[in-house]
Amino acid sequence: MAQVSGVQPVLQRSYRLMLMPAVIAVLVFAVLPLMGMFWLSFTGFDLVKGWDTGLTLENFTRLADDRRFIGSVWVMLALSGFGVVAQVTAGTLIAVGLEKIIPRWRHVRGIFVVPFVVPHVAVALIWLSLFTPTLSPINAFFDLFGITVPAFLTTRWGAISAIVIADTWASFPFVMLLILAALQGISTDLDEAASIDGASKMQVFWRITLPLLKPALLMVALFRFIETIKHFPLIYVMTNGGPGRATQATNYYAFIQTFQNSKVSYGAAIAVFLFIFAAIISFWVARMNSRLSDA
Amino acid sequence: MKFTIRARLATAAMATILTTVPAYAEDLNVILFGMPYTYGLAELEDDFEAATGLTANIEVVGQDVFENRITLSFTGKTGDIDVVHTPVIQVQRWVEAGWLHPVTDGVNGMDTKDDILAGPLDAYLVKGDYWALPFFAETGMMSYRKDVLANAGYDHAPTTWAELLEVAKAVNSDDVAAFAMRAAPGQGFNMFVFPMIMRAYGGKFFADYPNDLTPAINSPETLEALNLYIDLINNYGPPGAGNFNFSEVAAAMQAGKIAMFVDGTSIVAQSLDPEKSQVLEHMAIAAVPEGPAGRSPAIAVHGLGIPADAPDPEVSFKFIEWATSEETLAKIALAQPFPDFTRASVAANPEVIAKYESINPDFLNLRVEMLNDAIGHYRPLLPQWPQIGAAVGEHINAAVNGLESPEEALAAAEAEMAELLAE
Repeated sequence: MAQVSGVQPVLQRSYRLMLMPAVIAVLVFAVLPLMGMFWLSFTGFDLVKGWDTGLTLENFTRLADDRRFIGSVWVMLALSGFGVVAQVTAGTLIAVGLEKIIPRWRHVRGIFVVPFVVPHVAVALIWLSLFTPTLSPINAFFDLFGITVPAFLTTRWGAISAIVIADTWASFPFVMLLILAALQGISTDLDEAASIDGASKMQVFWRITLPLLKPALLMVALFRFIETIKHFPLIYVMTNGGPGRATQATNYYAFIQTFQNSKVSYGAAIAVFLFIFAAIISFWVARMNSRLSDA
Repeated sequence: MKFTIRARLATAAMATILTTVPAYAEDLNVILFGMPYTYGLAELEDDFEAATGLTANIEVVGQDVFENRITLSFTGKTGDIDVVHTPVIQVQRWVEAGWLHPVTDGVNGMDTKDDILAGPLDAYLVKGDYWALPFFAETGMMSYRKDVLANAGYDHAPTTWAELLEVAKAVNSDDVAAFAMRAAPGQGFNMFVFPMIMRAYGGKFFADYPNDLTPAINSPETLEALNLYIDLINNYGPPGAGNFNFSEVAAAMQAGKIAMFVDGTSIVAQSLDPEKSQVLEHMAIAAVPEGPAGRSPAIAVHGLGIPADAPDPEVSFKFIEWATSEETLAKIALAQPFPDFTRASVAANPEVIAKYESINPDFLNLRVEMLNDAIGHYRPLLPQWPQIGAAVGEHINAAVNGLESPEEALAAAEAEMAELLAE
């Protein structure tokens, strides 16, 4: 292990010892299960039929031909793509609004964080009732004026939009908090200098604030992207993957294969795909980010 | 020296962990998923202790948590579960996987075995052994609003599916939709109710269950049934009905927004709940409609079983015997909306009769009639059924919501059934 610079050698050992619990926790709770998952994906383990421990690539060759799997990747991309755009846009607008337009409202910021602390199953139940026309106050309200709100959960894109809306409601506060922190790190001198030179508020936002926020926006979009590919409770509660299979995202499909169809190794192979997919995206975003910081 | 410091730290850490994790204080760990019976049972832990001198920790969780929890426990052979909620629909799969301990000797040794309803008990007979004792036997029933039907000139409930469609046409309005039924995709959701129509029209899952398991769902009979189901849900159901599950069906009925529905007895009982229904005085119940091939009410049976790795199966059996006894079932039938008990003596209990008669005088008799009409393999009893049912349910739901045509859906369902059986 490298020496921690500027620290007396006697302290080095206690520093390392104090790090040990964290290192052990990561090993036990993250690295070992991950290795187990990789190993499982190369075997043939079926809950009902039992173990076939010989190593095989069959799970991965099957993935390539599995139309349900390929369909699930498109569903995942739609949910994640629209979800990330919606959450980052909403979170950023609210953060900028709170910081720049109504800074005196600092004490109400807490209210915006409330959806973030609601458990996802509860979020799903709330939005399931809002999207169920016979239960929804939204439908009841529009009915008063004779307007019929369409049923979201019975069409492909309606159901995908419903999940994106529920997820955006629950997750924009995360974006908002990180963007608020980033905004507070940007010196107000720049804004002032620009205003003195005659720039309007919109120009300041587009030309100064937004470019300076880019690294933070990228990172927060990455975090949200990784979270959205793990979609589960919203789908499970709101649509059961329906209508038909229209909202069976890849992670949900892994659950179906593992727990419903008992094909643990095949489920693990899908999880390995998701892990590698997330890793590639993270690597790519990190590189873009370092280029931005170098620029 | 270094080593001793590390060793000491490690020992201290272990000691801290061991002293803060409590040992299991109870004799028995029971895991169940939420339904009126299990909520009722969880409140009777003290009764169990008084009856047997043993203590039990009864844990009631959501169905998804339940599935994950037992799968981990059974595959990891942890032996941390003494009694497990065992739905009939899973029992073949679990027996095949070697997850259950047979209870045949215990069942045959019971004095009151004959009191248990034969249909539900025999549903647990797999490979010559009993694998659980039933506590819940649900069947199908119709619930409807007398006032809405009377306004359209009908003084009784429709007795056939064709007549139901006729009545639906006559009573459907913007305020009160004519009909609702579970449509959400799932082995226990749309595939719990759709076979009531399918079988009434002569449709079947297999060529000749259980002798010839060639998939046979893609037939003119099932197509006719599917078209009727789609017509009823899309044209005579409330908006959004294509994603309705039992809770939305029950809530719509309680709010007076639908005129008729067909579902399991536990959901029909909810539509008659005096505390929840806004239209209680108008509610009536009726038999599941018939079709050209007769009547086929749904049936679902749940019971309590013993995991194969339970440390003391005899003690576990004491629990399931107590939990499915006349006394316990009667107590829960009185405390919860639970008319789905599995003992003849409970159906003869005056207090139980009084409770359910006050809700609806015909309820208990109609339930017995429907149970007698139901066939045990309403949903085929196969280890692969949970996944086959799920796949078929997804195509049926896709057809209801227009993502696939009814013909495409049945062809795709049949092809997938064949694939799943071949694996």
